[in-house]
Amino acid sequence: MSALFHALFARGLFSNPAVHTAAIVGALAAISASVAGVFTVMRGQSFAGHALGDLGAAGGSAAALLGISPLVGFVGIGAVAAVAMSTLGSHGRRDRDVATGVVLGAGLGVTGLLLYLDTTHSSTTGAAVSVMFGSMFAVAPSTLPAVVAATGFLALCLGALYRPLLLSSVMSELAAVQGVRVALVEASFLGVLVVAVALSALTVGAVLATALLIGPAATAIRLARSPGTAILVAAAIGVGSTWMAIILAYDSYYWSASHSGWPVSFFVVSLIFVAYLVAELLSSVGSRLATHRDPSVSRTLS
Amino acid sequence: MFARAIAVLCASALGLLSCGTIAADAFAKTGVVMAVGAENEYANVISQIGGPYVSVAAIESNPNTDPHTFEASASVASEIAGADLVVRNGLGYDPWAQKIMAAAPNPKRKVIDVQHLLGLPDSTPNPHLWYEPSTMPAVAKAVATDLSDLEPAHRGYFEARARAFDKSLDPWLEAIASFKARYGGTPVAVTEPVGDDLLRAAGCDIRTPWSLQAAIMNGTDPSPQDVTTEESLLKDHRVKVFVYNQQVTDPLTASFEALAKHTGIPIVGVYETMPTGYDYQSWMLAEVRALTKAVAEHASTTRL
Repeated sequence: MSALFHALFARGLFSNPAVHTAAIVGALAAISASVAGVFTVMRGQSFAGHALGDLGAAGGSAAALLGISPLVGFVGIGAVAAVAMSTLGSHGRRDRDVATGVVLGAGLGVTGLLLYLDTTHSSTTGAAVSVMFGSMFAVAPSTLPAVVAATGFLALCLGALYRPLLLSSVMSELAAVQGVRVALVEASFLGVLVVAVALSALTVGAVLATALLIGPAATAIRLARSPGTAILVAAAIGVGSTWMAIILAYDSYYWSASHSGWPVSFFVVSLIFVAYLVAELLSSVGSRLATHRDPSVSRTLS
Repeated sequence: MFARAIAVLCASALGLLSCGTIAADAFAKTGVVMAVGAENEYANVISQIGGPYVSVAAIESNPNTDPHTFEASASVASEIAGADLVVRNGLGYDPWAQKIMAAAPNPKRKVIDVQHLLGLPDSTPNPHLWYEPSTMPAVAKAVATDLSDLEPAHRGYFEARARAFDKSLDPWLEAIASFKARYGGTPVAVTEPVGDDLLRAAGCDIRTPWSLQAAIMNGTDPSPQDVTTEESLLKDHRVKVFVYNQQVTDPLTASFEALAKHTGIPIVGVYETMPTGYDYQSWMLAEVRALTKAVAEHASTTRL
């Protein structure tokens, strides 16, 4: 047992300050992204979430150029992109996807320019890799208060929006009939999504942010039978994958003689994917075993 | 009328052509070798050896950027393609120079690849060869030989300049030797391996794990173990100097720098390319003096 413990938790894991910061920032980001992700998946806005993540790269590389906190860059660019996407694509779903794609393309072009300026006009070497693929162990502890504040903001917003958001996500027409101001709810949720994706981008990088947003949520929706449970399961999968990834990345330092540990973002994304595959398998086995069970709930959710 | 116009045009075209030839001849007769140093420290050595007989261009010379991530532009490509002598570092530091030369073959072009000149294998981990005291004398000698082949008339001049160059390194070498004698074994922390060869020559004990230096150099994800090791070197005063590469920085190196400032460990700024206002010798001497000042007087020299 002790041997297993030491095999899993390599020496110094619990006393390492970089691990502490990564564990706290990672957990808060995972909870925010996974919970916002459940609504994103239910509303069919995965593409918008993905685009906001990728666009975050422009904010992250601008932050590197200006020498400010990457979180400010991610949130700032997300807000601009969200406004652009909802202004351009306000005529139905197909229009929305097209507008998202167009804004995404333009934003990535700007990212290309900013990363070029980062390496040619200032000496920010690691900008490209850390903005795109994250670098959880290099997150400055001074970022922590902003991460806590952003998570608190999300919790407040989602708490206030919960009922109308859920109703408008599942049945938008019914919500409108019941007096929910669907447009306002939609706009507020986009704001929530921007902050959640920014937190996700801070931990696993702009390109991989979508994995933390959609992955745990999609898995939870496969497994859970009510939205409340799905939110809890998604948060658990998000935090579990992130913490397990931190442990594996820490251990990977000892896997090779040159001590070139593997990137933590790789482990986060891989574990989320494995969880999704397992959930797929479980739910298909489950539905074969219990065909008599009423599948309407999970159908409503997904 | 029309025929006359044609004739005039032809004549002026011929005139232009012959002008071109005359210009090229004049250029060849004055004997100016077009040379390129992929990094400005090599360009500086070429110009010290070649004097008035070379026209040298340096490709990487901006002290505010990271040469590891350099991308060659079209103007750089034409500069290298047209050069008679090219000095490049090798070891994956300037792969673009190799690509440009392969795309514009010139049988007369002389190329000094410093890695191959020193007989170093591709697996050599630290590409910053110019910080090793024995590198530039070898480069200067090779430059003198190649320039003599290109301009045999000035062989004597080039060889004399190479000897003068070797001699001019003496103050630097003496500074290294006296640092080693007085402060040999001084524990130091670094961010990136740029100055490692010089630090070793001066007898310093580099405590920063190589894996962290490599991660910072290559802009990859650092491991938490290494981050913590570096922080404790600074926090627990286990090093006497913090050597900071001003051209390869990111939020992590900035946080180490802030920590060193906070705990009062003197900082010595080092550079990938030669800073403005220096030649190779005075740059290297300034680095050793800054290191000595850090150990002897606990004073930082963050920027040269």
